Amino acid sequence: MLFLFRIIVPILTAVVALKCFHSLRLGKRRESPVMVLEDMTTHQVIPVLYWENSIGRSRSCDVVLRDQTASRAHAVLMRRESGWFVSDTNSKAGTFVNGRKVLGRTPVCPGDVIAMGSTVLMLKSTEEVGAAPAQPPRRCAASPFGLLFLTFLTQALLALQVAFSKGKFSLSFLYPLAVLAVLEWALYLYSIKILGHVSFELETLAFLLCGIGLAIQSGVDLKSSWTQVTAIAAGIVLYRIMIWFLGDMDRVMRWRTGIAVFALILFAVNLLFARSRNGARNWINYGSLSLQPSEFIKIAFILVGTSTLDRLQTYRNLSGFIGFSAICMGALFLMRDFGTACIFFVMFLIIAFMRSGSVRTIALALAVAAFGAFLILKIKPYVAQRFEVWRHVWEHTGDAGYQQVRVLSYSASGGMFGVGVGHGCLRDVFASTSDLVFGMVCEELGVVLAVIVVLILASLALYARSEASRSRSTLYSIAACTAGGVLLFQTCLNVFGATDVLPLTGVTLPFISLGGSSMVSVWGMLAFLKACDERTYAARRSRK
Amino acid sequence: MKTTGRRSLILIILTVAFFFGLSVFLYGLVTHGGTWAIQPFNGHLTGTSTSSAGRVLDRNGTVLAQTKNGKRVYTDDLETRRAMLHAVGDSNGFISTGVQSVYCGELFGYNPITGLASPTGKSAGCDINLTLDASLCRLAREKLGDRNGVAAVYNYKTGEMLCMVSTPDFDPQNPPKDLDTNKAYSGAYLNKVLSSTFIPGSIFKTVTSAAAIENISDLDSRVWNCPGSITVNGNQITDIRSYGKLHFKDALAKSSNVAFAQIAIELGTERMSAEAQSMGFGHNFSLDGISCAKSSYSVKGASEDELGWSGVGQYTDLVNPFHFLVLMGAVANGGTPVMPYMVKSIVQPLGLPQKTGSGQMGSELLQPSTAERLKSYLRYNVTNQYGDSMFSNLAVCAKTGTGEVGGGKSPNCWMVGFSSNSSTPLAFVVLVENSSSGSLSSAGRIASSLMTAAAKVVS
Repeated sequence: MLFLFRIIVPILTAVVALKCFHSLRLGKRRESPVMVLEDMTTHQVIPVLYWENSIGRSRSCDVVLRDQTASRAHAVLMRRESGWFVSDTNSKAGTFVNGRKVLGRTPVCPGDVIAMGSTVLMLKSTEEVGAAPAQPPRRCAASPFGLLFLTFLTQALLALQVAFSKGKFSLSFLYPLAVLAVLEWALYLYSIKILGHVSFELETLAFLLCGIGLAIQSGVDLKSSWTQVTAIAAGIVLYRIMIWFLGDMDRVMRWRTGIAVFALILFAVNLLFARSRNGARNWINYGSLSLQPSEFIKIAFILVGTSTLDRLQTYRNLSGFIGFSAICMGALFLMRDFGTACIFFVMFLIIAFMRSGSVRTIALALAVAAFGAFLILKIKPYVAQRFEVWRHVWEHTGDAGYQQVRVLSYSASGGMFGVGVGHGCLRDVFASTSDLVFGMVCEELGVVLAVIVVLILASLALYARSEASRSRSTLYSIAACTAGGVLLFQTCLNVFGATDVLPLTGVTLPFISLGGSSMVSVWGMLAFLKACDERTYAARRSRK
Repeated sequence: MKTTGRRSLILIILTVAFFFGLSVFLYGLVTHGGTWAIQPFNGHLTGTSTSSAGRVLDRNGTVLAQTKNGKRVYTDDLETRRAMLHAVGDSNGFISTGVQSVYCGELFGYNPITGLASPTGKSAGCDINLTLDASLCRLAREKLGDRNGVAAVYNYKTGEMLCMVSTPDFDPQNPPKDLDTNKAYSGAYLNKVLSSTFIPGSIFKTVTSAAAIENISDLDSRVWNCPGSITVNGNQITDIRSYGKLHFKDALAKSSNVAFAQIAIELGTERMSAEAQSMGFGHNFSLDGISCAKSSYSVKGASEDELGWSGVGQYTDLVNPFHFLVLMGAVANGGTPVMPYMVKSIVQPLGLPQKTGSGQMGSELLQPSTAERLKSYLRYNVTNQYGDSMFSNLAVCAKTGTGEVGGGKSPNCWMVGFSSNSSTPLAFVVLVENSSSGSLSSAGRIASSLMTAAAKVVS
């Protein structure tokens, strides 16, 4: 009977995931312009497609000016809650609205004339030029209630597995999962009913994954599953705070320096007070509470790295961010936390590339990284050892390959549908619920579900990518792509490290692994993805 | 924003890498899942979980290994446990040639869909019935005592392995803590019947004899002068004592090195090598798919005295006990052996047989006429030299051997042979390592009691 449930769980999970991503696709805005710019001399109509539009002579601009007197990246026309604005981005000739020179951000209304170099454009709404009407009514995506209910059902089936994990029915194992259910419905009611949001797909997916992770934890150790569910609750709070914080881009930009300083202070505190755990000095203990500051610095790192288009175009220089990244990396090296250093490096690569588009910068960074990796291998023999056993774990079943061969062996033992929650053997291996959790999912719930889980995580990254040009600002796009990329990269490190496709690193699997700080921070990452969704901040306007 | 959208394609690189890695893992899982799962450390196999494994039984239905209350339990009798160790295998999979390792997929019910989980909650593993006789193995081990060696008996008509024992061994139920450190256990993980080779000494004279039968036409009328030692190429080849003039069959019965060295030299490297090769040297034999160590005979570039020594089972000669068991079976069976097997049947939980073992004909190792003549010489060994009373009513044909190993160790004492009675078609190999008491009194005695007991098993 339980085996049957283990077959149903992956099916339900796949259904929920597919419906969620389908709904996310449907929720996307059509690429039909609301506004157009009309060239006052040629009367050519240029559609304004995005929330932030670069205007300039360069062919990569969203609005291309065929005008030798205009700068390559001349200005940015952007849409905010309160209307349309134009910003001059250090152009040579300057930008003028209705004949007045633009200093900083200047509002423009339909009918206003924007002059750049020798080009004069008038902002008009689409109806005025008689083009197709604005947006068609948004198609009804899958009902958030239905999706969450399916998720709840999946969790109920998992809960049954957990209840029987010790052979006979036991209610006490179910309490953490029950709390999770309460949390998800509470967030649902808060978001949909109180705040009036229309979308709940990302949260549903997160809860789906959290449920699977929590079920695994509950089968291993009740105490740690309480930690887990507490972390989820804290994560949800952080999530809501971040959604609110990200709602005002100017606030984000204002706070950036503060956040950067805060991150550096956090690193300093970490270095001064951290306890070494498993070779890395990345934990701070305060009473019974232990924190991993680097997890929160990830969020800060993204906030510092991302930017709105007008600022990107005005301050092209990356050096400030590179400096900040270098300090972060240096701190992580001092902590000997090389797994997290890899993650920060990938965040840096994504942000740097999305901001500058400079392949040269990326190549340079990679070269520096290769040199750094070489140095680590030279001076830290235990890291080199991991590389030595890589792809040779079966020759080291008793020593350096101990964890990986057990992951492989028990993953295979689980077959397609697992041996059942609480009946696995991998649980006795060190770090089974964090670094090796992928093996736990394979063994206890089956390879099918494990693959679906990682596919969901990969799809989150792809979702972030597909929203990159649709979001309300490059600030959201860059942040979401970085967050999605990091989630996927962590998934890769975790899954492939444990299964000997890559050397073992000791990174957590987002939403699944046991973790306090890491679980909280993963919800923070999700907030970036959510903020990227155009609908997230639309609800507020509809309530006005 | 268009540019930002385009630059976000950097994530595609990551995604491609992700799918590549995932495929590597899944490919490995599909192709090697069984091997991954069936590992000695796997708790599902050694039984900490609820999935239950099949049993291993001997020919009489004695349960040799089973899973009880989630633990792998071996038969109650300590001596039997130890005697059957190498055939059955241990819980940790250290004995890779044991059926628990070789047939773990069947025993523990692994399949790619359910892994090692059992949807019904009942035992998903098959039972494995062996052709071995536990009490016969126990007897062989008892006779070997604390000496290292091997003993194997098989029915050369049906192919059933009846006895297969290798010492040193250990108790699989309670493996000793000093298993890896105590020298007394060195080699305990090996089933030496299958996986080892030894210096044969005079049992190799059966091979030289076969070569002589096929190549020397006046063999029976020839006489060899055996003065106790001869000098070849400046090196002495010695016998225990002077035998004077010997006919071929007496030279074999008395096991004269001097005579057989001369025969080997007379035949030359090519004919000796050809005979050894056709009799299975250098061939990879296997027992139920378990590959055995190869016997080797190599006289390439050997000097004349070395060739002489090779003809009496010294020089670089090495034989695998299982190979000689098959070879004895071949001599008894007119030149072509019935290949031994030890897995009688593999029975699924519901009682359906999944696999049934049977003795397959092997390839010819000797010409029928050669086999027939060799058989009569081997019979003559027993009646005129060893004493037929050793094997009452079994009409045993045999050859003893003492392989000098050097290095301050006593020789390998061998006895190989078979019963030529059609009612007791049994072939045997017994080896006692490092034995100073002579092959007849060490290996011979074990062979004697083993064959007497085995005769009762088949009749």
